[in-house]
Amino acid sequence: MCQSSRPLTSAPSVIGQSAPRADALTKVTGEERYATDYYPENHLWAGIKRAAYPHARITSIDISQAKGMVGVVAVLTSKDVQGSNRLGIFEKDQPILADGIVRHYGEAVALVTAETKEILKQALAAIVVEYEPLAAVFDPQAAMSKESVILHPGRADGNVLLSDEISCGRGVEALADCEFTAEVSIEVNWQDHAFLETEAGVAWLEADGTIAMIASTQTPFRDRLELAEALKIPPTKFRVMAPYLGGAFGGKDGITVQGFLALAALHAGGRAVKMWYEREEHFLAGTKRHPAIMKYKLGCDQQGMLQALDCSILMDTGAYSAMGGEVLELAMEHAGGPYCIPNTRIKGAVVYTNNPIASAFRGFGVPQVAAGIEQAVDELAKTAGFDLLQFRLKNAVRRGSVTPTGVLLTQTVGLSECLKKVADHRLWRERELWQNSAPAFKRRGVGLAACYHAVGFGPVIPDYANAKLELAADGHIRVFAGVSDMGQGNAATYMQIVGHILFQGYDNMEIVLPDTACTLPSCSSSASRTTFTYGNAITGAADILKERILARALLLFSFQLLEQLNVQDLVLLPGRIVHQPSGREVPLQLIAGFMDESERIATYSYTCPVNKQVLPTGKKLRHHGYPHRVFSYAVQLVRLQVDTLTGEIEVCDLLNCIEAGSVLNPQVFEQQIQGGAAQGIGYALFEDFALKEGKIRTNDFSTYILPTAMDIPNMETVVVPLAEDDGPYGMKGAGEISIDGILSAIANGVAAIIGTRITQGTLTGEKILLALRQAGKEAVR
Amino acid sequence: MEVLFPRTLEELKELFVTYPDGRIIAGGTDLLVQLRKHGNKPSALFSVEHLEQLQHVEEKETEIFIGAGVTHQQLWELPIIKNYFPVLHDAVAVLGSPPIRHSGTLGGNLCTASPAGDTLPPLYVLGAKIAISGKTGKRCVPIAEFIQGPGCTMLEQGEFVTGIQIPLPAPQAFSAYYKVGKRKALAIAIASLAVMLEVNPDETVKNIKLAWGSVGPTVMVLPEVEAFLKGKVLSDEILSQAGKMASLGVKPIDDIRASAEYRQCLTANLLLRICRD
Repeated sequence: MCQSSRPLTSAPSVIGQSAPRADALTKVTGEERYATDYYPENHLWAGIKRAAYPHARITSIDISQAKGMVGVVAVLTSKDVQGSNRLGIFEKDQPILADGIVRHYGEAVALVTAETKEILKQALAAIVVEYEPLAAVFDPQAAMSKESVILHPGRADGNVLLSDEISCGRGVEALADCEFTAEVSIEVNWQDHAFLETEAGVAWLEADGTIAMIASTQTPFRDRLELAEALKIPPTKFRVMAPYLGGAFGGKDGITVQGFLALAALHAGGRAVKMWYEREEHFLAGTKRHPAIMKYKLGCDQQGMLQALDCSILMDTGAYSAMGGEVLELAMEHAGGPYCIPNTRIKGAVVYTNNPIASAFRGFGVPQVAAGIEQAVDELAKTAGFDLLQFRLKNAVRRGSVTPTGVLLTQTVGLSECLKKVADHRLWRERELWQNSAPAFKRRGVGLAACYHAVGFGPVIPDYANAKLELAADGHIRVFAGVSDMGQGNAATYMQIVGHILFQGYDNMEIVLPDTACTLPSCSSSASRTTFTYGNAITGAADILKERILARALLLFSFQLLEQLNVQDLVLLPGRIVHQPSGREVPLQLIAGFMDESERIATYSYTCPVNKQVLPTGKKLRHHGYPHRVFSYAVQLVRLQVDTLTGEIEVCDLLNCIEAGSVLNPQVFEQQIQGGAAQGIGYALFEDFALKEGKIRTNDFSTYILPTAMDIPNMETVVVPLAEDDGPYGMKGAGEISIDGILSAIANGVAAIIGTRITQGTLTGEKILLALRQAGKEAVR
Repeated sequence: MEVLFPRTLEELKELFVTYPDGRIIAGGTDLLVQLRKHGNKPSALFSVEHLEQLQHVEEKETEIFIGAGVTHQQLWELPIIKNYFPVLHDAVAVLGSPPIRHSGTLGGNLCTASPAGDTLPPLYVLGAKIAISGKTGKRCVPIAEFIQGPGCTMLEQGEFVTGIQIPLPAPQAFSAYYKVGKRKALAIAIASLAVMLEVNPDETVKNIKLAWGSVGPTVMVLPEVEAFLKGKVLSDEILSQAGKMASLGVKPIDDIRASAEYRQCLTANLLLRICRD
């Protein structure tokens, strides 16, 4: 599917140049069509009857009344699903429609298609489901106990989806030798993705039996495989198209509405079906960030060198596994932070409960553990009497270092450079002035965090991309994007890379967004690997196409000049090729005319290199990504102001110092960094997700509080552009690193202001006022 | 559900006869949310956006009359509001968001009768009276009488608010509105405080009016706290003492936004803002 981008500039883009994204104008004007914007002719509306219990056995589903209603086309239950009726990546445990048991509030029980939304609503209400409620478990610690009700009977480890231990060096016993130790226990909350475009799509059955769909998905190619198994239809009988997404952040990494859409399309008599969650349904059915319970004990020697870490991480994945195992892996791999700690023991588990489903969310476990290790580092530095920044610098990993999980860092590491830049920055140097300049009834402080974030899928799951590029018959360049653009700007960056290599302007280029019928199989838009991997593939394809264009032009010039020419004498310019010695030119369109389709299309397959290290520990984590090879780094600083009368907290300034390799487009890079940091502020201070016995209490935007523009400070982004050999033009992934340290930086700043730590959940004004009261600082002028 | 657009107050009165369960829609910023959430749709909505009689602001010698259909944004832009009624100016500045302020009206905020309504505490301390019209005639009642409970006013079937009458405050009076929400914009108050203060030349309190929002079923007025402060010089200590009294006098609840205990703390602490200002 081609999109309508009208770039703001037609000038050829160059790597390193700051330029507005090619999709900016059409998004701002509303011309760009998201999945929600498709209303196929004569389409039906599809909707879901959802479970009213967190854990129950379905004893009967009476669809007779709904089925008989005028305007209702189909009422479907699990009986209408031909395949395994199971979705999932590693653990295929989630039904499309519940077959027997529901395991969380709002689980899908029946699917209805109807002529109008109004009839749909009435039909859904007319379905009568009878349940036999089962005992339910909502506390991940209780879920691990022997007495707990089991969500998925037959599993070897009860409710434990995955657990493992990483130990390095002498492990915990080294703590006993430490001169100084510090302990923190931290519980971090759930977080909702809260994207603007809720889950949506349209689907229809084509004449040849293909189920075609346009869906808001990060994973068009993987969706086909998942759907094929669940519905027992060959994967090639699905065509998935993914227009630009109106936000996703991991929440559309995998099936959301696609299973329902496919099932509905199969029973719609050839008519198209449309689904679009309302906001409340998104909260009810969508995945969330994993909450985590963490215990940290960290020790250093007299010189302040970190020596030992003992930590445990318990995550709640809710009713179904989704990406629970992979999130735990990444959390555990990053649990010790970007420091050299020779002796470690990191225990981790992720468990099933009757809570909402947790899965991928920007950061993927790292913001959680960063909140643990970075608060432990601050506490230890304070206890041992070291400067908070110098202490981090002293222990920072470098290229060639081994991480606390035993991973040898063979690729670029820019953490020390980031720390030094922050050390020299005014916001750090003037921290005492800031603290001492608080107005009446205010207290000010500075918080710091350092973090790192792995790029890609790790050693087992191939991280690949297949790029495709076409010199169209009319001479313009068609860039095929095999990976979704969920808003991060990767599609525009592919155009930038191609424009750079072929020296063509945007007016001579167009992009084709993911479509399993014409773009080539590529992995998901996720894991800070989207531009990293596809960028490598598209670079390869562009090099091939350039070579072909020049070779064909060479033949033409040779014929015109009647002599042997050298390809080095040819230059590709916007819309034309020049033979420099003679000054002769041919238009690109003419060259295209001399090529047949097989020559005009260049493809290139790229698979990322992986970390080949064989680690003696964390064996179960290997399949889920441990260990990684490439990491991005960041140091984040916040200046905070707390109101002693109300506990209200304000982030006044925010500094992101980022090493994510070279920067291809500084403007897009900075937007990514700012977006992640803003989402981190929401996670830290505002998005106080509330559950009561598995039921979400904050289920709309009047109760689930996102920060507004008024709550986000001006941010400064400082780049440390080390060139990474693995990345296209030296880049590394930058999609997640900026959310990782914000909660920990803010928590450290709050602790500096109050003198005690708030260890549970979102740092709301209410909790801060209570902490101020306990510290005798409430209403202090 | 029909949406009708009366041009005169007479037409509006007649509509209430034809559609007895009809409801007035002004900005719709509360009503449309309620209708979507609860689904009990009336047979008709009467939009007052073309009712010019509700859109005007009249400045008189000793009072001001604000038409019920005047938007928060219009109020915020009026020099007289900024100069004479800072407490109301403060409140509309932090009410909702720019789109809400451009469509929401003072009359609408009043008739929603939420204890968290940002314009309500200011109207209490300003001694506002509400002008009501209906089939039996007109009446004008003090705001504290008008508001009867959460979401509940004294309006009877067929009655509607035409405007709000507010006496001009004493020239030297200080007034302000303090709000605590869960974020800086688009926030429903967790607690708020409106203050109207006149001091004597010797800095003792001549007159003080206080009204708290979101800490009880309606806006809370505590005469005993006002009486305690009268005649005293305001200091952190005096205001803390008043705060202790106030926190015992309010009737907050626990809800999704905050606990009753936090609201009690805020009830007391917001008083200290007066001294800072």
